[in-house]
Amino acid sequence: MLSLGEKAYCAALLALKNKEYVNALHYFEKAAPYFEKNKEFTLYFETTRLLVEVKSKLGTLVDDKIEIEEIFTHG
Amino acid sequence: MSQTASLQSLESLLETFLDRVVFLKEKKLNVLDGINRLDDIGLMANQGEDVTDEIGNWFAEHNKWLTDRTLQDTELNRITGMLSKIKQEINIDNDSSMAQQKISSEIDRWNNKEEKTAPILTLMRKPETAETEPDTSADTISLFVKRLTKMTALFMDYSNSKNHILSVLEDILRKASTETSKDALILSAFIIYYLKQNGYKVEPYVKKLKEAETLYKKGMF
Repeated sequence: MLSLGEKAYCAALLALKNKEYVNALHYFEKAAPYFEKNKEFTLYFETTRLLVEVKSKLGTLVDDKIEIEEIFTHG
Repeated sequence: MSQTASLQSLESLLETFLDRVVFLKEKKLNVLDGINRLDDIGLMANQGEDVTDEIGNWFAEHNKWLTDRTLQDTELNRITGMLSKIKQEINIDNDSSMAQQKISSEIDRWNNKEEKTAPILTLMRKPETAETEPDTSADTISLFVKRLTKMTALFMDYSNSKNHILSVLEDILRKASTETSKDALILSAFIIYYLKQNGYKVEPYVKKLKEAETLYKKGMF
């Protein structure tokens, strides 16, 4: 049988393949306790975490920009 | 560059990196996904559910693994173990449906084939068994020769553009870790021992070899 960690790691990589980064992060977090000393795992985990942060930040910035444009439009 | 532009650049870089990771692990990921699905089927069978259709679909999709011979020994052993458990759960008898009997024979076919395609099992036989089967010792020699040939080819590939054997060792150790390659693992150990005999400090490489070995034993990643 596969361990829960292996199943979660597998799900995380499949999510990455589908570019579902938030899902991937969720599964990486579940797998993390099983792969604490695996440098490769940590690299993918941290990269995904950073990407989700960046996307989240970019989403905020884009929203702000839209609001500003609307203010100008309505004068 | 504005903050947005910087973040977009970073986003693109990270996405490219992760795309590349997925691309490099595509084959491994497919194998892992197949094993994961088989594991799920095993759990269903364990809970008394009828898994005839699921296991049939699994075979239809993954039978090519037997002929492709792309699976590692650990992966094959894992699949064989799971299939054996599933067969126990299915409990085939004379009253079983044709589909169930077909599944049972497919599992037998896989397991029999697996024994032939994974010669490492031969090495695990007890010595007394080997004595009663003299052909086995001949097999171990030819298997070793085959392995040696593969490792030589691997070494030639990796040493092609290198100036020093330590650079070759670094790359082969990396292969052993990232691809959990048995050939790379054994070859790394061979080179490390050679270097030790020639007065090199090999401790850092021994450490890397142990890490690669741990990953190989995990067998999945």
